[in-house]
Amino acid sequence: MSWAAHQFEIYAVHAHLPRKMQAQVSYFGIYLGDFTPDFLSKFWVYGFNYNGHHYGSKVPERWHRGWPGMGITHTLFLGVIFAAIFWAWKRNRAFTVGYVLGYAAHVLTDVNDSVGVMLLFPFTALSWSLKTWAYAATIGGGKYLDAASYYSSLGLVMDLFWMVVVLCSWRVFTREYWRTKVVPADPHIWAWFGRRLPERGLLALYRATFFYGVCRMIAWSTWAHLVARPVINGVQHHGYPMDLSWTGPWWLDARSLHHVSPLLVLPAVLLLLTLVYWVANRLWEPMGRAQDAARARRSSSSRS
Amino acid sequence: MTDPVPPSLDHQGSRRLGRREEAFWYVLAAVSYVGLGVYHKWLLNWIVGPLWLVATVTIGPAIIDRIRRRSTSSADA
Repeated sequence: MSWAAHQFEIYAVHAHLPRKMQAQVSYFGIYLGDFTPDFLSKFWVYGFNYNGHHYGSKVPERWHRGWPGMGITHTLFLGVIFAAIFWAWKRNRAFTVGYVLGYAAHVLTDVNDSVGVMLLFPFTALSWSLKTWAYAATIGGGKYLDAASYYSSLGLVMDLFWMVVVLCSWRVFTREYWRTKVVPADPHIWAWFGRRLPERGLLALYRATFFYGVCRMIAWSTWAHLVARPVINGVQHHGYPMDLSWTGPWWLDARSLHHVSPLLVLPAVLLLLTLVYWVANRLWEPMGRAQDAARARRSSSSRS
Repeated sequence: MTDPVPPSLDHQGSRRLGRREEAFWYVLAAVSYVGLGVYHKWLLNWIVGPLWLVATVTIGPAIIDRIRRRSTSSADA
């Protein structure tokens, strides 16, 4: 799984929208799309202890990414279903397209760990994984071991990569960008927050996900490498050993599910990413016309 | 006719922050959140993290303004 990368990619998606979609795709749509897969599946992955009993998944990786399990939450298929339901309900193009793009970003980023995602579900339940770093959610280790493993592997590089991508588009954090490119796509939501918060609070709310991503990356990395005193193979270490080799770190068994050859994964990801943007691009104008027609119907029915 | 809103005030009449002051509050929020988060991991979640920033940037300057107003009014008296 990826950690802060999921926070950073929201801004990266918003900053690199096709020209005709700029200032018209919902930031909250991208945020919720990116947030949904782990929101629906992750709590039970780690589980919790109560009265000496562990409540949670028996096989975390199967629950999180497999089938049967909640692996369906990490498929483009479910993202499209949710977006279609929302579209049928609200006819809101800005949110629907943003939601699909955010969802796709999350799913496609998660092919990097050793478990991967079911990219072509429901056609096949095989996992697609690049095995860049080890999937480390375990019942015994919980979130701590997961974080230590991720921030001792190429996962840290992935987070830094996304952070640099966003920082290269630093204008995305300016007041001007927020006022002219973010607020117009979600006028009602920002107006609702605006009745409760001053402008500096609204701007902080918009930047808050990036802030959280940076802080959690620094905090977990600091803990894993400067504070923790793990015992690995009977030897106590000052901090978890760093290992930037493929499918690292070496000190943890990388979990995996039945998967396709990793050689197929990168072309498939690029193809699907292109397909998602191509479809969004093709549907943009027809969705706009349908949205306008639905608004006209609503306003005429409210007048009568 | 009402007066136009001065550019230094926002839609709620709250003060807009200058660049340096804004950077100060963001850095304060980050340092305090990371510092506490390293030892209290329960703070490192998607609810507390964003709220931490919003609360710091919203409430911090308001508290400072109130203290300044109070010290100015007591000096005038």
